[in-house]
Amino acid sequence: MPCRVLRAMIRFENVTKVYDQTTRPALDSVNLEIDRGEFAFLVGASGSGKSTFLRLVLKEDRATSGAVYVAGQNVAKISSWRVPRLRRGIGVVFQDFRLLPQKNVFANVAFAMQVIGKSRSVIRDTVPEVLKTVGLEGKEHRMPHELSGGEQQRVAIARAVVNRPGILLADEPTGNLDPTTSMGIMGVLDKINQNGTTVVMATHDDDIVNEMRKRVVELRNGVVIRDEAKALYTSMIPVVGQSRRLKDASGRENPETGVPGDGREGEAQR
Amino acid sequence: MRLAFILSEIGSGLRRNLSMVVSVILVTFVSLTFVGAAGMLQMQINQMKGYWYDKVQVAIFLCSEGSTAAGCAGGPVTSEQQESLNTLLESPAVAQYINDFQFESKEEAYKHFKDQFSNSPIVDSVTPDQLPASFRINMKDPQKYEIISETFSSQPGVETVIDQRQLLERLFSVMNGASLVAVSIAGVMIVCAILLIATTIRLSAFSRRRETGIMRLVGASKTVIQLPFILEGVIAAVIGAALASATLWAVSHFFLGEFMSRQYPDTAFISSGQTLILAPALLILGASLAGISSLLTLRRYLRV
Repeated sequence: MPCRVLRAMIRFENVTKVYDQTTRPALDSVNLEIDRGEFAFLVGASGSGKSTFLRLVLKEDRATSGAVYVAGQNVAKISSWRVPRLRRGIGVVFQDFRLLPQKNVFANVAFAMQVIGKSRSVIRDTVPEVLKTVGLEGKEHRMPHELSGGEQQRVAIARAVVNRPGILLADEPTGNLDPTTSMGIMGVLDKINQNGTTVVMATHDDDIVNEMRKRVVELRNGVVIRDEAKALYTSMIPVVGQSRRLKDASGRENPETGVPGDGREGEAQR
Repeated sequence: MRLAFILSEIGSGLRRNLSMVVSVILVTFVSLTFVGAAGMLQMQINQMKGYWYDKVQVAIFLCSEGSTAAGCAGGPVTSEQQESLNTLLESPAVAQYINDFQFESKEEAYKHFKDQFSNSPIVDSVTPDQLPASFRINMKDPQKYEIISETFSSQPGVETVIDQRQLLERLFSVMNGASLVAVSIAGVMIVCAILLIATTIRLSAFSRRRETGIMRLVGASKTVIQLPFILEGVIAAVIGAALASATLWAVSHFFLGEFMSRQYPDTAFISSGQTLILAPALLILGASLAGISSLLTLRRYLRV
């Protein structure tokens, strides 16, 4: 068991999150494991629980019941003054980029290192390297408003990974971008994933999911209804009677074959 | 690196919020000036009490060279007269009214005088000879002053009997009233200052919520996120406290030192140096007010 916990980068054990007692839970008894180095899509309609999933990983919220493990650590047991250390191990990218408008590209990325006390020389060495990884060489001194959406998102990705986190969470990173630009961003995320970072990406973008052929976890009303390796955005299972059969499928799949098994298989074959 | 970063954050925060920062400075300035004024009034009261005020109530001044009082027709007090006064004070008829008494010689009188008027130029022109020796009496019941006065006024060698308390008490009650008013105004102003600092920090945190949000996500510690905001408030309040200290110093130096002490040379005034003792207290008070109110505000408005 401990070995399983360590291999899993993110592990949800029967996690339920209730925001408001009068409505249905945002997440309902979710069991899920995402292994080190895996790339997983989190798909589902708005309100299906994708963002709640990401917030729980970041310890922005507490699970109502169940346990969330990140890198083998139960986040509920992390004291508030050690939460920053947890977050240093997790990079986050958003749909709206969230760059600082008055800082240039270099300063935006350097900001993430400054605030955790990295020395100036380390920053000088690391930032250009990361900018190169995301394909922004030579644009260090541009201001965010001088960049295209895709470039801005690359800056945001650079900032998220500059401290070499083990996990990268992306919340609809291509939501504001056109399909071609989106594919560029996916290339960057894939490259980061191949360098060993676990990537979890919440998305609505079916083209991208279909193109990438990675593990897909589908949520509906807070329940995992599908978890497939090398999958497509939409399920292969016929639409008629879908929800009942899918619930059966997920209920059977989790305890027996084991979710991470699928993911590892996909990883190994890549 | 982190220090430089925090300093640059403080700088940008102060610049962005300049008008609010100026108002925080002014409000802390005014409120702490009132706090300091109350402190100065109390210091002045202590200065005027001199050496004997808290120890005795009644003073029997003895004749010295050049005394013009009726009882001093025989010239300065002789040691026999002094001896008989001492016996009279110890006699049961008088002793029942007093706790104890002390004799203050001319030299002792000079020493106490020098202490009390150390800030005044008058001290240089006074010699021990000019000051009368005295008996200082601590009464069991200060109201029985009349008895002592009647018994001793007509004794040979006694220049005058004075109830020093009665003279000063009226003045002190006025001054105490004034310091109470100052403290009340200071209290209201301090509440203003706290609320204003809280509002300023809130605005500052709001205008930088993008930065703090990113800092939180990349795992900046609570200290790095909150310290710039807290120091912003503290710096503004400390500037206000420094202005208040400077004002109090100016009042004691120019108004008391230059003007009042010339108008009333027989009154002991506090020196401008003594006023500076208040400055560290005001600085600490200002800094802690700002620190505590911004900390409480941040706890509510800045998630970490």
